[in-house]
Amino acid sequence: MIMNFNKFCLSIIASSSLLLACNKQLDLPNPQAIGNDLAFSTDANVKQVLVSAYNAVSDGSLYGGDIQIFGDLMASSGELNWTGTFNTYREVFGNSMLTTNPIIRDLWGDGYYAINVANSVIANINKVNAADRNRVKGEALFIRGAILFELTRFYGKAFNDGTPTQNLGVVIRTTPVSGFSDVDFPKRNTVAECYSQVIADLTEAESLLPNKNGVYANKVAAATILARVYLQSGNFSGARDAANRGITAANGNFSLVSTYSSAFNNATYTTEDVFAIVVSDQDGVNNCHTFYSIPQYGGRDGDIVILDGHMNLYPNGDARKALFYSFSGDWRSGKWRDQYRNVKVIRLAELYLIRAECNVRLSQTVGDTPLNDVNRLRTRASAPVLSAVTLADVLLERRLELAHEGFRVHDAKRLNLNVNGRSAFDNRLTFPIPFRELNSNPNLVQNAGYN
Amino acid sequence: MRKKVYLSLCALVFLTLSTIAQTVTVTGKVVDEKSLAVPAATILEKGTKNAVSAGADGSFTIKVKTGAILVISSVGFETQQVKASANLSVKLNPEDVSLAEVVVTGFGQTVKKDVTSSITRIKGAEVANTPVPNFLQGVQGRAAGVFVESQNGKVGEGIKVRIRGASSVSASNSPLYVVDGIPINTASLSGNALADINFNDVESFEILKDAAATAIYGSRGGNGVVLITTKKGKAGKAKFSINLQQGTNNPTNKRGFLNSTEYLQFFREAAENAGRYHFNRGGNWLGFANEAAAVAYMTGVINSRFNRYSGLNTGGADWKADTVNTNWEDLAFQDAKTTIAEVSASGGNDKTKFFISGSYNDQDGILFYNKFKRYAGRVNLEQELSSRLKVGVNLTVSRTEARRVAGDNEFTTPMQIVALAPITPVRNNAGVLFDRPTATYYNPLIETENASYTSTTFRNISTAFAQLNILKGLNFRTEFGLDVLTQNDKEFYGRRTLNGQGTNGLGVSTWLRSVRYTTNNYFNYNTTIKSKHDIDATVGMSFEKLANDQSSVEGQQFANDDLRNIANAATITAGSSSLSELAIASYFGRVNYKFNKKYLLGLSGRFDGSSVFGENKRYGFFPSASIGWIVSEEKFLRENKVIDFLKVRASYGSLGNQQGFGNYAWRGVYGTSRYAGVAGLAPGSLQNDVLTWETTNQFDLGFEIGVLNNRIVFEFDYYHKKSAGDGKGFIYNYPLPLTSGFSTITRNIGEIENKGVEFSINSTNIKTRNFTWNTSFNLSLNKNKVLKIDGQQDTLSFNDGRFMNALIVGKPIGVHYGPIYAGVDPANGDPLYYEQDGKTTTNDYNAAGSFVVGDPNPKWFGGITNTFSYKGFELSVLFQGVFDYEVVNGAGGFMSARGDWFDNQTRDQLQRWKKPGDITNVPEARLNWLGDFQSPGVSTQYMEDASYIRLKQLTFSYNLPNKLLSKLKLGSVRAYVTGVNLFTWTSYTGWDPEVNTDYRASNINQGADFYAAPQIKSVTFGLNIGF
Repeated sequence: MIMNFNKFCLSIIASSSLLLACNKQLDLPNPQAIGNDLAFSTDANVKQVLVSAYNAVSDGSLYGGDIQIFGDLMASSGELNWTGTFNTYREVFGNSMLTTNPIIRDLWGDGYYAINVANSVIANINKVNAADRNRVKGEALFIRGAILFELTRFYGKAFNDGTPTQNLGVVIRTTPVSGFSDVDFPKRNTVAECYSQVIADLTEAESLLPNKNGVYANKVAAATILARVYLQSGNFSGARDAANRGITAANGNFSLVSTYSSAFNNATYTTEDVFAIVVSDQDGVNNCHTFYSIPQYGGRDGDIVILDGHMNLYPNGDARKALFYSFSGDWRSGKWRDQYRNVKVIRLAELYLIRAECNVRLSQTVGDTPLNDVNRLRTRASAPVLSAVTLADVLLERRLELAHEGFRVHDAKRLNLNVNGRSAFDNRLTFPIPFRELNSNPNLVQNAGYN
Repeated sequence: MRKKVYLSLCALVFLTLSTIAQTVTVTGKVVDEKSLAVPAATILEKGTKNAVSAGADGSFTIKVKTGAILVISSVGFETQQVKASANLSVKLNPEDVSLAEVVVTGFGQTVKKDVTSSITRIKGAEVANTPVPNFLQGVQGRAAGVFVESQNGKVGEGIKVRIRGASSVSASNSPLYVVDGIPINTASLSGNALADINFNDVESFEILKDAAATAIYGSRGGNGVVLITTKKGKAGKAKFSINLQQGTNNPTNKRGFLNSTEYLQFFREAAENAGRYHFNRGGNWLGFANEAAAVAYMTGVINSRFNRYSGLNTGGADWKADTVNTNWEDLAFQDAKTTIAEVSASGGNDKTKFFISGSYNDQDGILFYNKFKRYAGRVNLEQELSSRLKVGVNLTVSRTEARRVAGDNEFTTPMQIVALAPITPVRNNAGVLFDRPTATYYNPLIETENASYTSTTFRNISTAFAQLNILKGLNFRTEFGLDVLTQNDKEFYGRRTLNGQGTNGLGVSTWLRSVRYTTNNYFNYNTTIKSKHDIDATVGMSFEKLANDQSSVEGQQFANDDLRNIANAATITAGSSSLSELAIASYFGRVNYKFNKKYLLGLSGRFDGSSVFGENKRYGFFPSASIGWIVSEEKFLRENKVIDFLKVRASYGSLGNQQGFGNYAWRGVYGTSRYAGVAGLAPGSLQNDVLTWETTNQFDLGFEIGVLNNRIVFEFDYYHKKSAGDGKGFIYNYPLPLTSGFSTITRNIGEIENKGVEFSINSTNIKTRNFTWNTSFNLSLNKNKVLKIDGQQDTLSFNDGRFMNALIVGKPIGVHYGPIYAGVDPANGDPLYYEQDGKTTTNDYNAAGSFVVGDPNPKWFGGITNTFSYKGFELSVLFQGVFDYEVVNGAGGFMSARGDWFDNQTRDQLQRWKKPGDITNVPEARLNWLGDFQSPGVSTQYMEDASYIRLKQLTFSYNLPNKLLSKLKLGSVRAYVTGVNLFTWTSYTGWDPEVNTDYRASNINQGADFYAAPQIKSVTFGLNIGF
């Protein structure tokens, strides 16, 4: 009996000491993550957050391809066909988007994710070593400005459609959400407000960024997006000046590659790449490759087919035409043929085209003559050089040089061209505010045509 | 009853050293109430260890002290005591099986009669030898309140189990599974971790349903608990058992698609209509001069597609001759067989008892390539070290090998083969499988020749225990359990496959090591005071820790398609490793008190601390109380001739849930990302310090009644489960505006309730000398309702164009919420939907209103088992039914899409609109080549009632008679044939109404079909031999 009583006590002592030991065992941090407080504790950490802003921008739904694909797919006008099975993209192609379309939702959601990361960097910029502070802030502003611009032109009416100070653009966010209490339910800003914010961000970014910055945003890139913004809003001198500043800053840092075909399917930055999304077999996606390319190059089924309506635009012997290849009886864009190649966002060639177009429009020759700028590209493409250029020549040149790189629908809107037999200002050429977003934010208003 | 007898083959045999001079030899016979011999009854001299076992004919001989009392017992009969005399004939009365049986509860056991909670017991023998990989499939239809649904017909994969409905949204709704006292892992890389268990080793499944039963599991009890108790040896002569089974597997249904002639005609029409539409209604932006030109253009398009799909220039045939008519649906399936073999041995003496088994289970899936194979072994050992101390181990090791097929939404999964055109030959004239561009899509048959996806799991679930008897009635038990799951998924995709073709092959190897250890330490005290107060008390603690260690590596550029390991890859393209941990510390207790054999009181509770919550919200207390009244023990009923037993019981308690939403959800963290080879820090989640135990309050009221000598036993339960308020409501990854940069935050966000009734009857309808007929029936009704969502909206709608499950206050979880299809405009063949006013129709999907249109939660389900035995023959038939729920075919927009794209169409599309005035539900055939119009989105067009009744299991067996057995010197021989899912009655037109497509299945995402394989119909022949 005594024995048993001792055993009894022993087991009670043993089990209670077990209990005490257990409480500490409940503190289990996530081994793969650090707390919010630590993310901005050091210079190095803030810079790493900036890296993830680039990663966000490189998503397939943003500059990882969809932004570029949508630009051409929305305004096919008999020049290309979507023949793939994904009706998410087919809806974009047919301008018959459902509000529930997930890729349209993801452009929105991933766009704001990137903006929030950029805002987090900007809000913590004083943690960055003084020597790098301008560069880091400039990069974050570049990302915020560029993405806000893309969202504005997909989800808002065109700047030249009606009154941009009244038309709804998207939501402007300039402060980070770092806790639940920061989450709010904003209204949409106007198109004009969005453009102002974009211009402010990119102007500051241009002033802060170095001329060259590895695979990251640089002064030329900021100037190019800024030029796009001005061009889109019809400010031709602003666009021309930004383009010219970009070309000046590019001098000695960037240059056209010798042949047109070598400007594409690159695993590393070429001298012509002002800004590209880095893709390798280790990391990154290239949706342009996925949907423009064909099975034997690791693409899908060759979902986007180029039609004769486009092929016929090129003069004979044009290297840009020669880049197309045939599969299963249809033409395919050679720009996106190979797997694990960088996704082009800004090529230097675009700057010459913007400068040329605006100089023609303004009858000026700031930087260089429009003829020189256009012939620079035609010579490289082995197309016959021109002896004089008109606005139409520059616009056609732009269409050929930048084909299938995401410019078409935005050009159609600013030039007020018909798209797929309808006005460029047709409701069907603006994306719907995603169904999911309307549900979670009662202050958002849906675009016309989607109610 | 017969099964019971067979189970009772184990008997106690002791060698007694007779030191007593005065003995008498007793010979006798044990018979049942019908004077039939009771074989293998145990005859024990009371107060000694002197015992013998009766023979097959019931006769026995035993030497005992003069005047001794003999205790005669046999499983299934009431134990009797008789005074020893030279010639004895002992008549045993049958035990009222369902009420006197012992029920396992958490950390203890009790007699069913005295249970004040809701527990369903399923004997292992009822489920044994069902030729399915997972015991849950065997349990389906057998227990009231327990809903079981296989996601699809892939072998050994996902199964949904809901005990009394769904109380959670982002947290898990799955019950806790406990094997021999130790909670086990249910997570794995692929497949279902519960399929690692050889359920023929199982003695019983106890399903704990109400708070009183589950509160002892506190934080994990909210969704119910399934206790699995494995077989133990019994003292006596060693028994061996062999089981062999062989059979075939087939799909329950094929739905049928257009044949080549129909396909050609349908798509020609669709193309022509598209041309007309473009010219007349689509804006004619291609600029055709007239309608005929537009039609001619589209005819050109379709002819070129027909050329391509028939392989005209690629080694196929000319579609114009219409000589190729490939039934691709048939090709998704394979000839499938099942082979099962197992042996077991059990026995022991008064100090040592053992049960050992080994099994081999090889089942082909019905889908091509799909296969499940399991080798399992078990040793259960118990040893008495002294009269007070007992130790034991339950060890099981299994190896599961599966060949898996891709998720239902992958182009590579077998069922997506149905999209291919019937005019496409399977192979070209060189014998090579056609792929794109000849095949409309990737031909998944290439996976069978040029890819492999194998999953190998080693599973070791082990328990060691020691039990010390401290004082009379006071025991201390300590248990240590270890569940180790090591799984390796190896995928290889060769040069011809979708995933491997651009990179000269792609290989992925993923490892998971999941280790869960548990220790339970508890005291149990039971005593009877003045023969009126029965007290049974348990108090203890437990600690549990789970660590999931995962790593994976991906390689490309393989030397050739035969070298499939990552070692053979020239480039390593991805790799990862990660760790996720969970720890729970708990203290628990229970008191059961019985007064005067008729008034029952139960109190139990558990104090749990979990690592998944922040420091201040980590601990929760989960109590329950229950009362019972055995009315039939009262004087006024005791003499009643009809009612033999009546018990009324009620319970109330509060239970928690802390799993399913990740182990670190409360923390606001930055994880890592990378860009251009540089690591980054990326925002992962928003902090929520107040995230805490999801708590559900549960009320249960039930009664059990036995009539006509307990030949008919009814059991009825009403329950009401409701989320607690005060920030302890259901946990949900609440959607935030994406403009915040975050998509969700994990919060205790709302309240949900389940109300229901359960009803079961077990009856012995006929019992004569040679013939018995037993019926077991159960029926459950559950009503689920979301009561409250704290946030911006009462309606969380997730229509993604394919599916429309939603979370809406006042409606059941996951209701189908979307447009109502209004049929076809007779004037132009457009599909019509109702606008939000419910009256006006529109052909613009974006303008369609959203309505609650269906409920994926079945309102009723049940099962009925009839067992007939005649002499050695037995026929057991289980019908199972699920009623009143709706399934949406998310693939409707592809396969029943009036020729929107080139996917082959279901046969109902032949009813398409053709000319103005046609009244039909299928819109005009119209190929969406130019994207001129909307492709079909989800609506009630693709929703159907999926109620069904199924002949779930039919077993016909024959037992060799005892006479023959004794000649053969065998204990038992049973030959049987078992059919599973033999017939299904349903109005659902898809493959199978029991479906929830695997790639998106969640608590909200239910009632969804998307190229999900039909269930497996199998017929197997088997032989059990015991000796």
